[in-house]
Amino acid sequence: MSLFLVVALPFFGALLPGMMNSAGRSACAGVTFTVSLMAFVGLLTNLPAVMAGEVVTARVDWMPLLGLNFTLMLDGLGFFFALLILGIGLLIITYGRHYLSRNDNMGEFFTYLLLFQGAMVGIVLSDNVLLLLVFWELTSLSSFLLIGYWKHLPEGRQGARMALAVTGMGGLAMVGGMLILGQIVGSYDLSVILQNREAIQADPLYVPALVLILLGCFTKSAQFPFHFWLPHAMAAPTPVSAYLHSATMVKAGIFLMARMWPVLSGTPEWFVIVTSAGLVTMVLGAVIALFKHDLKALLAFSTVSHLGLITMLLGTGTAFGALAAVFHILNHATFKAALFMSAGIVDHEAHTRDIRRLGGLRRLMPITFAIASLAALSMAGIPLLNGFLSKEMMLEEAHHTVLFGSHWLVPVMATLGSLFSAAYCFRFIGHTFLGPVRDDYPHKPHDPGAGMWMPPAILVVLVVVIGVAPFLVQDFVFMVAKSVIGDAAELKTKYIKIWHGLVPALYMSIIAVVGGLVLVRTHAPLQKLWETTPRPEAKVIFEAIVEGAARMAQALIHPLHNGSFTRYAMIGVIAMIAAGYHAWATGTVAAPVRELQVAGPVPIAGWAMLVAATVGLVAMHRHRLLSLILIGIVGLMVSIGFVYLSAPDLAMTQFTVEVVTIILLLLALNFLPNRTPVESTVPRRIRDGVVAVAGGLATFGLAYHYMLREAVTTPISEFHLANSYKGGGGTNVVNVILVDFRGFDTYGEIIVLGIAALLIFALTETLLNGPVRRRLLNRVPDQPRSGDMHPMMMVVLTRVIMPVVLLVGFYIFMRGHNEPGGGFIAGLIVSIAVVMQYMASGFTWTSARLRYPYHGVIGAGVLVAGFTGIGSWFVAKPFLTSDFTYVRIPPFHKFELATAALFDLGVFLAVVGAVMLSLESFSRLARRADTPESEYPMDIDPSRDDPDTAKMKEGV
Amino acid sequence: MISADISTVLPEILLAVYAMAALIFAVYTGKDKTTPLLTWATAAVFVVLALWIGLSGDTGATAFNGAFIADGFARFAKVVILISAAAVLIMSQGYMARMNLGRFEYPVLIALSVLGMMMMVSAGDLMALYMGLELQSLALYVVASLRRDSVKSTEAGLKYFVLGALSSGMLLYGASLIYGYTGTTLFSGIIEAAHAGLPLGLLVGLVFLITGLAFKVSAVPFHMWTPDVYEGSPTPVTAFFATAPKMAAMGLFARVLHDAFGHAAQDWGQVVALIALLSMFVGAIAAIGQRNIKRLMAYSSIAHMGFALMGLASGTEAGVQAMLIYMTIYVTMNIGTFAFILSMEKDGKPVVSIDALHMYSRREPIKALAMLVLLFSLAGVPPMVGFFGKLAVLTAAVDAGMTWLAIGGVVASVIGAFYYLRIVFYMYFGDENKAGLDGTMNPVQWAMLMASALIMIVGVVNLFGVEGLAAAAAQTLVH
Repeated sequence: MSLFLVVALPFFGALLPGMMNSAGRSACAGVTFTVSLMAFVGLLTNLPAVMAGEVVTARVDWMPLLGLNFTLMLDGLGFFFALLILGIGLLIITYGRHYLSRNDNMGEFFTYLLLFQGAMVGIVLSDNVLLLLVFWELTSLSSFLLIGYWKHLPEGRQGARMALAVTGMGGLAMVGGMLILGQIVGSYDLSVILQNREAIQADPLYVPALVLILLGCFTKSAQFPFHFWLPHAMAAPTPVSAYLHSATMVKAGIFLMARMWPVLSGTPEWFVIVTSAGLVTMVLGAVIALFKHDLKALLAFSTVSHLGLITMLLGTGTAFGALAAVFHILNHATFKAALFMSAGIVDHEAHTRDIRRLGGLRRLMPITFAIASLAALSMAGIPLLNGFLSKEMMLEEAHHTVLFGSHWLVPVMATLGSLFSAAYCFRFIGHTFLGPVRDDYPHKPHDPGAGMWMPPAILVVLVVVIGVAPFLVQDFVFMVAKSVIGDAAELKTKYIKIWHGLVPALYMSIIAVVGGLVLVRTHAPLQKLWETTPRPEAKVIFEAIVEGAARMAQALIHPLHNGSFTRYAMIGVIAMIAAGYHAWATGTVAAPVRELQVAGPVPIAGWAMLVAATVGLVAMHRHRLLSLILIGIVGLMVSIGFVYLSAPDLAMTQFTVEVVTIILLLLALNFLPNRTPVESTVPRRIRDGVVAVAGGLATFGLAYHYMLREAVTTPISEFHLANSYKGGGGTNVVNVILVDFRGFDTYGEIIVLGIAALLIFALTETLLNGPVRRRLLNRVPDQPRSGDMHPMMMVVLTRVIMPVVLLVGFYIFMRGHNEPGGGFIAGLIVSIAVVMQYMASGFTWTSARLRYPYHGVIGAGVLVAGFTGIGSWFVAKPFLTSDFTYVRIPPFHKFELATAALFDLGVFLAVVGAVMLSLESFSRLARRADTPESEYPMDIDPSRDDPDTAKMKEGV
Repeated sequence: MISADISTVLPEILLAVYAMAALIFAVYTGKDKTTPLLTWATAAVFVVLALWIGLSGDTGATAFNGAFIADGFARFAKVVILISAAAVLIMSQGYMARMNLGRFEYPVLIALSVLGMMMMVSAGDLMALYMGLELQSLALYVVASLRRDSVKSTEAGLKYFVLGALSSGMLLYGASLIYGYTGTTLFSGIIEAAHAGLPLGLLVGLVFLITGLAFKVSAVPFHMWTPDVYEGSPTPVTAFFATAPKMAAMGLFARVLHDAFGHAAQDWGQVVALIALLSMFVGAIAAIGQRNIKRLMAYSSIAHMGFALMGLASGTEAGVQAMLIYMTIYVTMNIGTFAFILSMEKDGKPVVSIDALHMYSRREPIKALAMLVLLFSLAGVPPMVGFFGKLAVLTAAVDAGMTWLAIGGVVASVIGAFYYLRIVFYMYFGDENKAGLDGTMNPVQWAMLMASALIMIVGVVNLFGVEGLAAAAAQTLVH
């Protein structure tokens, strides 16, 4: 049968039991059994080819661009594991059908089980490491669902969480290792990777890859220091424990180590890490198992111990070690699955798994007793059972292994592990089945039906057969071992036999069995000792690590994300400075091509004022009015700088904009207290100062660098200088750019300006119609205001100045095309003229005298500019094509008439309207209830007859 | 010529016209009463545009002298943006109505920001770049503070705005330096000028451009706004933040780096790699302590952006392809996850604490299973589709010789897996007494959740061909 079908059958079959739930329990189990059986038979059809040493492959491209191919390969090792998975799977299905009670959802259980089975088969048949990873994590996922199947058991929760966290994260680490392997070899196909032992081991990335892959293997196979999750996952139904935690899933890590053995093993790193982890796990697991009262916990720790044994064997890196490992995998799978199922039977019948409440079951459950005892004795390493054979081989290998320069460390540890192993096996038999019959079992136990004892019985038959006649499986085991070893080492034959003679391994074995018996006899005092000795509890440590990690994360992150805006800004600025520095440090710095200029007295004076104003601003920023004045100084100095650098247009724009902004800010300050509260401490200000100075220095460095060097390409200004008069009819390049070259931009800008002003109007309008209005009207200023808000002198002065300012605006507008000036600046100047009236004579008085609504002025501006542009269509030119001519009206000199001037008029109107509308809107906010607006321009006017003035006159 | 230009940008023009028409329509008719209608209409427009753009042949046309590029890369990104925006819009409709947030401006603003995103991924010029970026950002600033009566929402909007302005300033500074040193704002011109290597000015400009863009994709250390904005904004807005804008910003990032600085990959590769590494770790570590699921998703998005940037950092065609795959998968996962978060409520009030998820599987086994799939996928656990995204970027990084970055990514994903798995654990094995969600899910959200989870499983077969499409798209970008 095609390998695809073998892998796919469980997955597709997984749909069936879920759908057939209503058809009854037997039907669900039956269909699951059939599906597994088909896959099993399909696998067996490949046996002849595998025994002949061929590698069966199947391949289809999946996502080739990602290096992912759906390639399967079946060699001895894969066949061996697939056989275990499917074979034991069949037994477990039979067992599970009888184990689960009437209330359990059978369909759900078997769906998960088949999913898991498919994933396991996928792991062992994958030829692509990435595909293997996919199946690998799928087992984590389906095992999570299986462990969580009995959700009502509270003790299961913690276990499921640890299992998921540990194996899931281990699997992700393995992704990294596999990617590195693929990178070294240039292919993600296992068959290719396995051919490249030298390339991989010579690569500098070998160690990281090894560590990452071993992390995955150790977590999955519960090796020290990740051994703690497995026993806690035992809250699952017993069929699940028997299947996942003895025969299959926990062996996935072992499988991968065996799979990667030819390319990863044989180096000192591999030897030290794998052997010592395995050795520690073996002893630790066995010791803990001896003192567990829960039958399943005892078996779980014994599983941990045996997995450690296999790991240790793989770690030695010798061919004999590999052979022993393979053989022990087979043996362990048989006796451990049988033991788990027996424990399940005891639990099922006696309704308890607590070894202290059991005993004497020998007479009540003879069949179970026979099965369990044989399996346990095999695990203890009693001759004529299969466990003995592989344990001998392990001890033999341990005898020759030198770890950390010590000849005795490994043998002693191995013997110790075997000793405790024998002890807990004897305890399992003794305390459960032997001894007197009790009368306080939670439930009267008796042997179950054949459906439940048959599956473990079949396994025990295998245990005995292999134990008595190892030559029956010898060829098979050799074949598997060869496929593990590959070309990496030579395998000598004829190791597997019952009697090797009086070799050290035999003595070690005898010590272990006798020692085990002694330990069981003295169990009660030992147990007391064990319980009084303080020892690290893995679960507690895990919890502490989780807690600690969370706390550490908080401690690390909280200072960064405390919600403080200034902190965010500071980190952002520091990062930007660092980024700039990186560019500076890595970039190529060309030699300067310009001379440094000598600074005259004027720039130095200007610079000094800028610096003084800035420093003053920083020092006195809490005084708001003062800050405003200092900001004004900065703005003025910048304007003067533009003048000095021959940019009068910019200077004029900057200057007028400056005035308008200051007025706007004054309006805003009207609502705020005069001083800001102290919010920052001295160290914080020093810190901010350092950041600011660093930023300033960085900007200085950049500016200095640029000024000494030419730009890369010719500046665009040359084009404009050359074409300004020729094409636009003006000698003021800036203005020609605004109204001609980039007239379309300007047109868009005045529209945006108009929209902005309308928006400000709309916002303040809504504000004044809402609940805010009352608060605004009734606010109390923090300082007493002047009683004479509109003094006579100022009213007179502004009114005298007004025509002058308007004339200046007109002048600036008209000269704009050839000299510095233009519509934009003129608009601002005219706005200032009007604003002065507002400030001097009051809001009511001024608005009563304004004839044109600002909305209309904005609209008119946009329309004038738009029609100017459209005008060019009538002479078949594109939008906004400009033209100019010279006319002469007798008393005047010749002067220029340009369509651009008309466009500029539009700009002018839009600017006036927009500035005035927004200022007016803001100033409406500033009204207060206690100072009603007067309709007169002056608060105190001697020529007027009103109560205030009269009062004043009387007062005199 | 102008008509050819206009036909190239026709989808964008139509969307702009639609947004304005919708606004005027709503203002002059029922105002907020039209919100459901507008929401569905906007989503429909998005879907129609996506189909149009997706099904039209690849002309590789440029418009307005190269300022606008409609190549395969732009089309791929636009389809993802439009579809995800449509999905988020319709699944948040019910929530908005229940929380009294159903303002008609919302769909219009979303339409405008999507328009900005489409401009971003099609930008062929620094000015087009900035225009698209700001159009998108300004709309987002507003929707972030949509809930005006909430201090948190307003604060979030304000922080986002000010920090965004700061980053825009950096970006403009960088852009002006680039212009000063190349004499052009066109990407095609810049790449020619930068052919011989980058002079210092250009390099500084590039670095500032990267910092500005890093802010937009919320990469560390310019990520500070993300948790606050995700937490403070109304959940539908958060969902939107986590989907389309991320794709757009990534698209723009790739566009600038490859179209304008494609020859200087070694110069920006290291910077982007560092940002990617920091993002992955900060995102992964910071989320561990979070119990607010919106804040948790914010850190998760930071980590995910790190992964996507890893693809970009490799500077290869495969890297861009990996980034596109990653982003597509990420956006799909987030739609499903947020559909679920939107439905989290108790006693009619929205709940954001992950403690509310205890034993959720008992009450809603199917939804819990869908979330399990999504969370596994977010963690990048195979065989969920999320794994393939991670695999793609890791492979790209390894192939480009950035093994250290890939290993860093693996370690970060292991750390990050912890907090996703913790939610799964709560849902399946949590504390019975802490359970606390009782809301029902509206059918649209349910459909989104299920569809997204299903895609995460079925996509394993061939990723719905996204891998090939992304490869084709990447090919048009990388020269």
